[in-house]
Amino acid sequence: MNSMIYILVQILVIIMAAPLVNGIIKKIKALTQKRKGAPVFQMYFDIYKLLQKNSVVSEVSSWIFKVTPYIVFTTAIAAALLVPVSTKLITQQIPGDFIMLVSILALGRFFMMAAALDTAGTFGGMGSSREAMISSLIEPSILVSLFTVGLISQSTSLPQIMNAVQNTGVPLLHPVYIMVFLALLIVIIAETSRIPVDDPSTHLELTMVHEAMILEYSGRHLALMEYGAAIKQLTFITLLVNILIPSDQLIGFTGIGALALSLVIYLLKVVLLSVIIAIIEVNTVKFRLFSIPNLAALSFILAFLGILQYFILGGSHV
Amino acid sequence: MSDFLDTLSVLILLSSFVLMANKRIKSYIETFRIQSLLIALVAGIMGVDSLLTEGRFDILVVCLLIIILKVIYIPALLHRTYVNVKYKVEKDFILNIPILIIVCCGLVVFSYFTLATVDGLNESIFNIQFVNSVSVIWIGLFFMISRKKAIGQIIGFLVIENGLYITAMLSTQGMPFIVDLGISIDLLTAVMIMGLMVFRINEKFDSIDTDQLNNLKG
Repeated sequence: MNSMIYILVQILVIIMAAPLVNGIIKKIKALTQKRKGAPVFQMYFDIYKLLQKNSVVSEVSSWIFKVTPYIVFTTAIAAALLVPVSTKLITQQIPGDFIMLVSILALGRFFMMAAALDTAGTFGGMGSSREAMISSLIEPSILVSLFTVGLISQSTSLPQIMNAVQNTGVPLLHPVYIMVFLALLIVIIAETSRIPVDDPSTHLELTMVHEAMILEYSGRHLALMEYGAAIKQLTFITLLVNILIPSDQLIGFTGIGALALSLVIYLLKVVLLSVIIAIIEVNTVKFRLFSIPNLAALSFILAFLGILQYFILGGSHV
Repeated sequence: MSDFLDTLSVLILLSSFVLMANKRIKSYIETFRIQSLLIALVAGIMGVDSLLTEGRFDILVVCLLIIILKVIYIPALLHRTYVNVKYKVEKDFILNIPILIIVCCGLVVFSYFTLATVDGLNESIFNIQFVNSVSVIWIGLFFMISRKKAIGQIIGFLVIENGLYITAMLSTQGMPFIVDLGISIDLLTAVMIMGLMVFRINEKFDSIDTDQLNNLKG
Protein backbone atom coordinates (compact mmCIF):
# COMPACT_ATOMS: atom_id res chain seq x y z
CA MET A 1 0.00 0.00 0.00
CA ASN A 2 2.76 2.34 0.98
CA SER A 3 4.67 1.72 -2.22
CA MET A 4 1.50 2.30 -4.22
CA ILE A 5 1.19 5.75 -2.67
CA TYR A 6 4.87 6.38 -3.39
CA ILE A 7 4.49 5.46 -7.06
CA LEU A 8 1.29 7.43 -7.40
CA VAL A 9 2.67 10.65 -5.87
CA GLN A 10 5.93 10.28 -7.70
CA ILE A 11 4.29 9.84 -11.10
CA LEU A 12 1.72 12.55 -10.47
CA VAL A 13 4.24 15.15 -9.31
CA ILE A 14 7.02 14.48 -11.80
CA ILE A 15 4.82 13.93 -14.82
CA MET A 16 2.55 16.84 -14.08
CA ALA A 17 5.34 19.26 -13.28
CA ALA A 18 7.88 18.27 -15.95
CA PRO A 19 6.63 20.47 -18.81
CA LEU A 20 6.20 23.36 -16.39
CA VAL A 21 9.97 23.58 -15.89
CA ASN A 22 10.46 24.10 -19.61
CA GLY A 23 7.68 26.68 -19.58
CA ILE A 24 9.28 28.64 -16.73
CA ILE A 25 12.70 28.63 -18.36
CA LYS A 26 11.28 29.78 -21.68
CA LYS A 27 9.22 32.50 -19.99
CA ILE A 28 12.25 33.88 -18.12
CA LYS A 29 14.30 33.87 -21.31
CA ALA A 30 11.54 35.74 -23.11
CA LEU A 31 11.21 38.29 -20.31
CA THR A 32 14.95 39.04 -20.34
CA GLN A 33 14.72 39.64 -24.08
CA LYS A 34 11.83 42.08 -23.51
CA ARG A 35 9.38 39.75 -25.21
CA LYS A 36 6.12 38.58 -23.74
CA GLY A 37 6.83 34.96 -24.52
CA ALA A 38 4.62 31.90 -24.71
CA PRO A 39 2.42 31.05 -21.71
CA VAL A 40 4.04 28.96 -18.99
CA PHE A 41 1.73 26.06 -19.82
CA GLN A 42 2.49 26.10 -23.54
CA MET A 43 4.23 22.72 -23.52
CA TYR A 44 1.09 21.02 -22.16
CA PHE A 45 -0.91 22.39 -25.10
CA ASP A 46 1.80 21.32 -27.53
CA ILE A 47 1.88 17.79 -26.20
CA TYR A 48 -1.91 17.57 -26.20
CA LYS A 49 -2.01 18.72 -29.81
CA LEU A 50 0.77 16.37 -30.91
CA LEU A 51 -0.79 13.38 -29.18
CA GLN A 52 -3.89 13.73 -31.35
CA LYS A 53 -1.95 13.59 -34.59
CA ASN A 54 -0.72 10.58 -36.48
CA SER A 55 2.97 10.21 -36.93
CA VAL A 56 4.69 9.90 -40.27
CA VAL A 57 7.24 7.11 -40.42
CA SER A 58 9.81 6.77 -43.17
CA GLU A 59 9.50 3.69 -45.39
CA VAL A 60 13.16 2.79 -45.04
CA SER A 61 13.18 2.81 -41.27
CA SER A 62 13.06 -0.37 -39.18
CA TRP A 63 11.28 -1.31 -35.96
CA ILE A 64 13.83 0.59 -33.89
CA PHE A 65 12.46 3.88 -35.14
CA LYS A 66 8.92 3.01 -34.10
CA VAL A 67 9.76 1.52 -30.72
CA THR A 68 12.19 4.22 -29.57
CA PRO A 69 9.68 6.88 -28.45
CA TYR A 70 8.04 4.39 -26.12
CA ILE A 71 11.40 3.25 -24.74
CA VAL A 72 12.55 6.84 -24.20
CA PHE A 73 9.32 7.71 -22.42
CA THR A 74 9.26 4.61 -20.20
CA THR A 75 12.94 4.86 -19.26
CA ALA A 76 12.37 8.49 -18.29
CA ILE A 77 9.44 7.48 -16.06
CA ALA A 78 11.42 4.59 -14.58
CA ALA A 79 14.26 6.98 -13.80
CA ALA A 80 11.80 9.44 -12.26
CA LEU A 81 10.50 6.71 -9.96
CA LEU A 82 13.99 6.19 -8.52
CA VAL A 83 14.41 9.76 -7.31
CA PRO A 84 11.95 10.50 -4.48
CA VAL A 85 10.42 13.96 -4.60
CA SER A 86 10.08 14.04 -0.84
CA THR A 87 11.73 12.01 1.91
CA LYS A 88 8.48 12.14 3.86
CA LEU A 89 7.14 9.72 1.30
CA ILE A 90 9.52 6.87 1.96
CA THR A 91 9.19 4.49 4.83
CA GLN A 92 11.07 1.55 3.37
CA GLN A 93 13.77 0.90 0.82
CA ILE A 94 13.00 1.30 -2.83
CA PRO A 95 14.66 -1.14 -5.24
CA GLY A 96 17.37 0.48 -7.33
CA ASP A 97 20.03 3.10 -6.64
CA PHE A 98 21.80 5.86 -8.51
CA ILE A 99 23.90 3.45 -10.57
CA MET A 100 20.65 2.01 -11.87
CA LEU A 101 19.34 5.53 -12.47
CA VAL A 102 22.34 6.39 -14.67
CA SER A 103 22.12 3.11 -16.57
CA ILE A 104 18.38 3.39 -17.18
CA LEU A 105 18.89 6.83 -18.66
CA ALA A 106 21.78 5.46 -20.72
CA LEU A 107 19.44 2.80 -22.13
CA GLY A 108 16.98 5.42 -23.31
CA ARG A 109 19.79 7.47 -24.77
CA PHE A 110 21.19 4.44 -26.59
CA PHE A 111 17.88 3.81 -28.32
CA MET A 112 17.51 7.47 -29.16
CA MET A 113 20.89 7.46 -30.86
CA ALA A 114 20.13 4.18 -32.67
CA ALA A 115 16.81 5.56 -33.93
CA ALA A 116 18.50 8.70 -35.20
CA LEU A 117 20.91 6.54 -37.19
CA ASP A 118 18.09 4.28 -38.36
CA THR A 119 16.48 6.66 -40.86
CA ALA A 120 19.89 7.38 -42.38
CA GLY A 121 19.24 11.11 -42.45
CA THR A 122 22.40 13.23 -42.40
CA PHE A 123 21.33 15.25 -39.37
CA GLY A 124 20.42 12.14 -37.39
CA GLY A 125 23.88 10.65 -37.74
CA MET A 126 25.50 13.95 -36.83
CA GLY A 127 23.24 14.42 -33.82
CA SER A 128 23.81 10.95 -32.46
CA SER A 129 27.58 11.16 -32.86
CA ARG A 130 27.58 14.45 -30.93
CA GLU A 131 25.25 13.07 -28.28
CA ALA A 132 27.53 10.05 -27.84
CA MET A 133 30.51 12.34 -27.34
CA ILE A 134 28.78 14.62 -24.82
CA SER A 135 27.20 11.82 -22.82
CA SER A 136 30.40 9.81 -22.57
CA LEU A 137 32.18 12.93 -21.31
CA ILE A 138 29.47 13.83 -18.80
CA GLU A 139 28.69 10.41 -17.38
CA PRO A 140 31.90 10.06 -15.28
CA SER A 141 31.17 13.29 -13.49
CA ILE A 142 27.59 12.22 -12.62
CA LEU A 143 28.86 8.97 -11.20
CA VAL A 144 31.82 10.43 -9.31
CA SER A 145 29.73 13.19 -7.77
CA LEU A 146 26.98 10.79 -6.73
CA PHE A 147 29.57 8.38 -5.35
CA THR A 148 30.92 11.23 -3.23
CA VAL A 149 27.59 11.84 -1.56
CA GLY A 150 27.14 8.07 -1.42
CA LEU A 151 30.45 7.71 0.47
CA ILE A 152 29.36 10.28 3.02
CA SER A 153 26.04 8.59 3.66
CA GLN A 154 27.45 5.06 3.33
CA SER A 155 24.79 4.05 0.84
CA THR A 156 24.05 4.11 -2.86
CA SER A 157 20.33 4.32 -2.36
CA LEU A 158 18.95 7.77 -3.11
CA PRO A 159 16.39 7.99 -0.24
CA GLN A 160 19.12 7.08 2.24
CA ILE A 161 21.49 9.67 0.78
CA MET A 162 18.74 12.30 1.04
CA ASN A 163 18.06 11.35 4.64
CA ALA A 164 21.76 11.48 5.54
CA VAL A 165 22.28 14.91 3.99
CA GLN A 166 19.52 16.35 6.15
CA ASN A 167 21.78 15.98 9.20
CA THR A 168 24.64 18.14 7.86
CA GLY A 169 23.23 21.61 8.40
CA VAL A 170 23.57 23.74 5.28
CA PRO A 171 25.22 21.52 2.64
CA LEU A 172 26.09 24.40 0.35
CA LEU A 173 28.52 25.77 2.93
CA HIS A 174 30.24 22.41 3.20
CA PRO A 175 33.46 21.95 1.16
CA VAL A 176 32.40 18.57 -0.25
CA TYR A 177 28.79 19.30 -1.07
CA ILE A 178 29.47 22.61 -2.79
CA MET A 179 31.78 20.87 -5.24
CA VAL A 180 29.14 18.20 -5.89
CA PHE A 181 26.52 20.92 -6.36
CA LEU A 182 28.55 22.75 -8.98
CA ALA A 183 29.45 19.49 -10.76
CA LEU A 184 25.81 18.42 -10.92
CA LEU A 185 24.76 21.86 -12.15
CA ILE A 186 27.07 21.47 -15.16
CA VAL A 187 25.76 17.92 -15.59
CA ILE A 188 22.16 19.15 -15.66
CA ILE A 189 22.99 21.77 -18.25
CA ALA A 190 24.72 19.20 -20.46
CA GLU A 191 22.18 16.42 -19.99
CA THR A 192 19.13 18.54 -20.67
CA SER A 193 20.59 20.18 -23.77
CA ARG A 194 20.79 23.67 -22.34
CA ILE A 195 22.71 26.53 -23.85
CA PRO A 196 26.45 26.24 -23.32
CA VAL A 197 26.26 22.70 -24.68
CA ASP A 198 23.26 22.67 -27.00
CA ASP A 199 20.57 25.17 -27.93
CA PRO A 200 17.08 23.76 -27.34
CA SER A 201 15.26 26.52 -29.21
CA THR A 202 16.88 26.38 -32.64
CA HIS A 203 17.11 23.98 -35.51
CA LEU A 204 20.37 25.33 -36.86
CA GLU A 205 22.27 22.40 -38.33
CA LEU A 206 25.62 23.56 -37.06
CA THR A 207 24.64 23.55 -33.42
CA MET A 208 21.79 21.15 -32.75
CA VAL A 209 22.38 17.93 -30.86
CA HIS A 210 19.16 16.77 -29.24
CA GLU A 211 16.98 18.40 -31.89
CA ALA A 212 18.96 16.69 -34.65
CA MET A 213 18.17 13.30 -33.17
CA ILE A 214 14.41 13.83 -32.95
CA LEU A 215 14.19 15.66 -36.26
CA GLU A 216 12.53 12.75 -38.10
CA TYR A 217 9.77 12.30 -35.54
CA SER A 218 6.29 13.72 -35.80
CA GLY A 219 2.90 13.50 -34.13
CA ARG A 220 2.51 11.11 -31.19
CA HIS A 221 6.10 9.95 -31.38
CA LEU A 222 7.43 13.50 -31.17
CA ALA A 223 5.17 14.19 -28.18
CA LEU A 224 6.56 11.15 -26.36
CA MET A 225 10.16 12.09 -27.16
CA GLU A 226 9.74 15.67 -25.93
CA TYR A 227 7.82 14.61 -22.87
CA GLY A 228 10.52 12.05 -22.10
CA ALA A 229 13.21 14.72 -22.34
CA ALA A 230 11.21 17.00 -20.02
CA ILE A 231 10.78 14.20 -17.45
CA LYS A 232 14.50 13.42 -17.61
CA GLN A 233 15.26 17.08 -16.98
CA LEU A 234 12.96 17.22 -13.96
CA THR A 235 14.48 13.99 -12.64
CA PHE A 236 17.94 15.55 -12.65
CA ILE A 237 16.65 18.75 -11.07
CA THR A 238 14.93 16.69 -8.36
CA LEU A 239 18.16 14.84 -7.72
CA LEU A 240 20.04 18.10 -7.29
CA VAL A 241 17.52 19.96 -5.12
CA ASN A 242 16.69 17.04 -2.87
CA ILE A 243 20.28 16.04 -2.22
CA LEU A 244 21.93 19.44 -1.98
CA ILE A 245 19.16 21.77 -0.81
CA PRO A 246 17.43 19.49 1.71
CA SER A 247 14.44 20.98 3.47
CA ASP A 248 12.49 18.06 4.92
CA GLN A 249 14.35 18.22 8.25
CA LEU A 250 12.69 21.58 8.88
CA ILE A 251 9.25 19.99 8.97
CA GLY A 252 8.86 18.70 12.47
CA PHE A 253 5.64 16.73 12.24
CA THR A 254 4.69 13.72 10.14
CA GLY A 255 1.59 12.58 8.30
CA ILE A 256 -0.27 13.80 5.28
CA GLY A 257 0.17 17.48 6.16
CA ALA A 258 3.95 17.11 6.30
CA LEU A 259 3.92 15.38 2.93
CA ALA A 260 1.86 18.17 1.36
CA LEU A 261 4.08 20.87 2.87
CA SER A 262 7.24 19.16 1.73
CA LEU A 263 5.86 18.78 -1.79
CA VAL A 264 5.08 22.50 -1.89
CA ILE A 265 8.62 23.30 -0.74
CA TYR A 266 9.95 20.85 -3.32
CA LEU A 267 8.08 22.62 -6.11
CA LEU A 268 9.43 25.97 -4.91
CA LYS A 269 12.96 24.56 -5.01
CA VAL A 270 12.38 23.28 -8.54
CA VAL A 271 11.19 26.73 -9.61
CA LEU A 272 14.25 28.28 -7.96
CA LEU A 273 16.61 25.95 -9.80
CA SER A 274 14.78 26.55 -13.10
CA VAL A 275 15.33 30.25 -12.58
CA ILE A 276 19.04 29.63 -11.95
CA ILE A 277 19.28 27.50 -15.11
CA ALA A 278 17.44 30.16 -17.11
CA ILE A 279 19.80 32.85 -15.82
CA ILE A 280 22.80 30.73 -16.81
CA GLU A 281 21.25 30.17 -20.21
CA VAL A 282 20.62 33.86 -20.75
CA ASN A 283 24.09 34.89 -19.72
CA THR A 284 26.20 32.41 -21.66
CA VAL A 285 26.77 31.77 -25.32
CA LYS A 286 26.78 28.35 -26.90
CA PHE A 287 30.22 26.75 -26.91
CA ARG A 288 31.86 25.35 -29.98
CA LEU A 289 31.45 21.58 -30.08
CA PHE A 290 35.14 21.07 -29.43
CA SER A 291 35.06 23.32 -26.37
CA ILE A 292 32.55 21.04 -24.66
CA PRO A 293 35.31 18.67 -23.44
CA ASN A 294 36.68 21.63 -21.45
CA LEU A 295 33.35 22.09 -19.69
CA ALA A 296 33.07 18.35 -19.11
CA ALA A 297 36.62 18.27 -17.74
CA LEU A 298 35.73 21.09 -15.36
CA SER A 299 32.63 19.22 -14.20
CA PHE A 300 34.63 16.04 -13.68
CA ILE A 301 37.28 17.97 -11.76
CA LEU A 302 34.64 19.49 -9.50
CA ALA A 303 33.34 16.03 -8.70
CA PHE A 304 36.87 14.74 -8.23
CA LEU A 305 37.82 17.63 -5.92
CA GLY A 306 34.71 16.82 -3.92
CA ILE A 307 35.75 13.20 -3.44
CA LEU A 308 39.31 14.31 -2.66
CA GLN A 309 38.13 16.76 -0.02
CA TYR A 310 36.17 13.91 1.51
CA PHE A 311 39.35 11.86 1.85
CA ILE A 312 41.39 14.83 3.11
CA LEU A 313 38.77 15.42 5.74
CA GLY A 314 39.24 11.79 6.65
CA GLY A 315 35.59 10.96 6.33
CA SER A 316 35.03 11.51 10.03
CA HIS A 317 34.22 15.22 10.17
CA VAL A 318 31.48 14.96 7.60
CA MET B 1 34.36 29.77 11.38
CA SER B 2 36.65 26.91 10.46
CA ASP B 3 33.96 25.47 8.19
CA PHE B 4 33.72 28.75 6.32
CA LEU B 5 37.48 28.80 5.86
CA ASP B 6 37.41 25.17 4.65
CA THR B 7 34.82 26.04 2.04
CA LEU B 8 36.60 29.22 1.02
CA SER B 9 39.88 27.34 0.62
CA VAL B 10 38.14 24.85 -1.67
CA LEU B 11 36.68 27.71 -3.67
CA ILE B 12 40.13 29.31 -4.00
CA LEU B 13 41.47 25.99 -5.28
CA LEU B 14 38.52 25.78 -7.65
CA SER B 15 39.22 29.28 -8.97
CA SER B 16 42.74 28.21 -9.90
CA PHE B 17 41.25 25.25 -11.80
CA VAL B 18 38.89 27.64 -13.58
CA LEU B 19 41.90 29.81 -14.41
CA MET B 20 43.58 26.77 -15.94
CA ALA B 21 40.48 26.05 -18.04
CA ASN B 22 40.28 29.61 -19.36
CA LYS B 23 41.35 30.41 -22.87
CA ARG B 24 41.40 34.18 -23.07
CA ILE B 25 43.70 36.69 -21.41
CA LYS B 26 40.75 38.84 -20.35
CA SER B 27 39.20 35.91 -18.51
CA TYR B 28 42.57 35.12 -16.87
CA ILE B 29 42.50 38.60 -15.40
CA GLU B 30 38.87 38.30 -14.27
CA THR B 31 39.47 34.91 -12.65
CA PHE B 32 42.52 36.29 -10.86
CA ARG B 33 40.35 39.13 -9.59
CA ILE B 34 37.78 36.64 -8.24
CA GLN B 35 40.49 34.56 -6.59
CA SER B 36 41.90 37.66 -4.91
CA LEU B 37 38.41 38.59 -3.76
CA LEU B 38 38.05 35.16 -2.13
CA ILE B 39 41.41 35.65 -0.40
CA ALA B 40 40.29 39.07 0.80
CA LEU B 41 37.17 37.36 2.15
CA VAL B 42 39.34 34.88 4.08
CA ALA B 43 41.37 37.78 5.47
CA GLY B 44 38.16 39.61 6.33
CA ILE B 45 36.71 36.65 8.25
CA MET B 46 39.97 36.12 10.14
CA GLY B 47 40.27 39.85 10.75
CA VAL B 48 36.82 40.16 12.27
CA ASP B 49 37.51 37.08 14.36
CA SER B 50 40.80 38.45 15.72
CA LEU B 51 39.21 41.85 16.33
CA LEU B 52 36.50 40.25 18.42
CA THR B 53 38.73 37.86 20.36
CA GLU B 54 42.07 39.69 20.72
CA GLY B 55 41.26 43.28 19.71
CA ARG B 56 43.77 43.26 16.83
CA PHE B 57 42.68 45.11 13.73
CA ASP B 58 45.81 44.68 11.58
CA ILE B 59 44.36 41.73 9.63
CA LEU B 60 41.45 43.92 8.60
CA VAL B 61 43.96 46.46 7.29
CA VAL B 62 45.63 43.64 5.36
CA CYS B 63 42.23 42.69 3.95
CA LEU B 64 41.72 46.26 2.77
CA LEU B 65 45.22 46.24 1.26
CA ILE B 66 44.43 43.03 -0.66
CA ILE B 67 41.22 44.53 -2.02
CA ILE B 68 42.90 47.73 -3.17
CA LEU B 69 45.98 46.04 -4.60
CA LYS B 70 44.94 42.65 -5.94
CA VAL B 71 41.26 43.11 -6.64
CA ILE B 72 41.36 46.61 -8.10
CA TYR B 73 44.80 47.91 -9.01
CA ILE B 74 46.78 44.94 -10.42
CA PRO B 75 43.94 43.59 -12.61
CA ALA B 76 43.41 47.11 -13.97
CA LEU B 77 47.15 47.41 -14.65
CA LEU B 78 47.22 44.08 -16.45
CA HIS B 79 44.14 44.99 -18.41
CA ARG B 80 45.74 48.23 -19.54
CA THR B 81 48.87 46.34 -20.56
CA TYR B 82 46.75 43.87 -22.51
CA VAL B 83 44.85 46.63 -24.31
CA ASN B 84 48.06 48.38 -25.31
CA VAL B 85 49.73 45.27 -26.71
CA LYS B 86 49.08 45.09 -30.44
CA TYR B 87 49.54 41.37 -30.91
CA LYS B 88 46.28 39.70 -29.87
CA VAL B 89 46.20 36.11 -31.11
CA GLU B 90 45.09 34.48 -27.91
CA LYS B 91 45.55 30.74 -28.11
CA ASP B 92 48.65 30.33 -26.02
CA PHE B 93 48.64 27.06 -24.10
CA ILE B 94 51.03 24.22 -24.79
CA LEU B 95 48.66 21.26 -24.33
CA ASN B 96 44.90 21.04 -24.68
CA ILE B 97 42.80 22.08 -21.72
CA PRO B 98 41.42 18.70 -20.50
CA ILE B 99 44.99 17.36 -20.25
CA LEU B 100 46.15 20.48 -18.41
CA ILE B 101 43.26 20.10 -15.95
CA ILE B 102 43.94 16.43 -15.35
CA VAL B 103 47.61 17.24 -14.67
CA CYS B 104 46.43 19.85 -12.14
CA CYS B 105 44.27 17.20 -10.57
CA GLY B 106 47.39 15.05 -10.22
CA LEU B 107 49.14 18.02 -8.58
CA VAL B 108 46.44 18.22 -5.91
CA VAL B 109 46.79 14.51 -5.17
CA PHE B 110 50.58 14.97 -5.13
CA SER B 111 50.43 17.81 -2.62
CA TYR B 112 48.04 15.79 -0.47
CA PHE B 113 50.41 12.83 -0.27
CA THR B 114 53.59 14.91 0.12
CA LEU B 115 52.12 16.97 2.93
CA ALA B 116 50.89 13.84 4.65
CA THR B 117 54.47 12.53 4.91
CA VAL B 118 56.13 15.75 6.13
CA ASP B 119 57.28 15.42 9.74
CA GLY B 120 56.49 18.16 12.19
CA LEU B 121 53.08 19.02 10.81
CA ASN B 122 50.65 18.19 13.53
CA GLU B 123 47.03 17.27 13.03
CA SER B 124 45.79 20.78 13.65
CA ILE B 125 47.88 22.24 10.82
CA PHE B 126 47.61 19.36 8.38
CA ASN B 127 44.08 19.88 7.28
CA ILE B 128 41.98 20.59 4.26
CA GLN B 129 42.93 24.27 4.13
CA PHE B 130 46.63 23.56 4.10
CA VAL B 131 46.43 20.96 1.31
CA ASN B 132 44.21 23.21 -0.79
CA SER B 133 46.37 26.29 -0.42
CA VAL B 134 49.61 24.42 -1.18
CA SER B 135 47.89 23.00 -4.27
CA VAL B 136 47.18 26.55 -5.40
CA ILE B 137 50.95 27.20 -5.41
CA TRP B 138 51.59 24.11 -7.53
CA ILE B 139 48.82 24.99 -9.97
CA GLY B 140 50.13 28.55 -10.30
CA LEU B 141 53.57 27.18 -11.11
CA PHE B 142 52.10 24.82 -13.68
CA PHE B 143 49.97 27.61 -15.12
CA MET B 144 53.12 29.67 -15.60
CA ILE B 145 54.87 26.97 -17.60
CA SER B 146 51.78 26.00 -19.56
CA ARG B 147 51.26 29.47 -21.07
CA LYS B 148 53.43 30.95 -23.77
CA LYS B 149 52.40 34.59 -23.59
CA ALA B 150 53.93 37.00 -21.13
CA ILE B 151 50.64 38.15 -19.56
CA GLY B 152 49.63 34.55 -18.85
CA GLN B 153 52.96 34.02 -17.15
CA ILE B 154 52.49 37.14 -15.02
CA ILE B 155 49.10 35.79 -13.93
CA GLY B 156 50.80 32.48 -13.07
CA PHE B 157 53.28 34.37 -10.90
CA LEU B 158 50.44 36.20 -9.18
CA VAL B 159 48.61 32.93 -8.53
CA ILE B 160 51.75 31.44 -6.96
CA GLU B 161 51.91 34.50 -4.77
CA ASN B 162 48.22 34.14 -3.88
CA GLY B 163 48.87 30.53 -2.95
CA LEU B 164 51.81 31.43 -0.72
CA TYR B 165 49.81 34.20 0.89
CA ILE B 166 46.82 32.02 1.66
CA THR B 167 49.06 29.21 2.93
CA ALA B 168 50.81 31.59 5.29
CA MET B 169 47.59 33.18 6.42
CA LEU B 170 45.73 29.96 7.08
CA SER B 171 48.60 28.22 8.86
CA THR B 172 49.61 31.13 11.12
CA GLN B 173 46.17 32.72 11.75
CA GLY B 174 47.47 36.04 10.42
CA MET B 175 51.08 37.05 9.78
CA PRO B 176 52.77 40.07 11.39
CA PHE B 177 51.63 43.24 9.72
CA ILE B 178 55.05 44.36 8.53
CA VAL B 179 55.55 41.05 6.66
CA ASP B 180 52.24 41.44 4.87
CA LEU B 181 53.11 44.99 3.93
CA GLY B 182 56.53 43.96 2.61
CA ILE B 183 55.08 41.16 0.49
CA SER B 184 52.44 43.44 -0.98
CA ILE B 185 54.91 46.13 -1.96
CA ASP B 186 57.27 43.54 -3.45
CA LEU B 187 54.42 42.16 -5.48
CA LEU B 188 53.40 45.59 -6.71
CA THR B 189 56.93 46.38 -7.86
CA ALA B 190 57.30 43.00 -9.56
CA VAL B 191 54.06 43.37 -11.48
CA MET B 192 54.88 46.91 -12.57
CA ILE B 193 58.31 45.83 -13.82
CA MET B 194 56.77 42.85 -15.60
CA GLY B 195 54.19 45.09 -17.25
CA LEU B 196 56.99 47.27 -18.57
CA MET B 197 58.83 44.16 -19.77
CA VAL B 198 55.75 43.09 -21.72
CA PHE B 199 55.77 46.42 -23.52
CA ARG B 200 59.46 46.09 -24.31
CA ILE B 201 59.04 42.51 -25.59
CA ASN B 202 56.10 43.64 -27.70
CA GLU B 203 58.06 46.53 -29.17
CA LYS B 204 61.12 44.45 -30.02
CA PHE B 205 59.43 41.35 -31.40
CA ASP B 206 55.92 42.49 -32.41
CA SER B 207 54.56 39.73 -30.18
CA ILE B 208 54.38 38.87 -26.52
CA ASP B 209 55.12 35.22 -27.16
CA THR B 210 58.09 34.52 -24.90
CA ASP B 211 59.28 31.70 -27.17
CA GLN B 212 60.47 34.44 -29.50
CA LEU B 213 63.06 35.48 -26.93
CA ASN B 214 65.04 32.39 -27.93
CA ASN B 215 65.54 33.70 -31.46
CA LEU B 216 68.64 35.71 -32.22
CA LYS B 217 67.96 39.19 -33.41
CA GLY B 218 70.67 41.23 -35.15
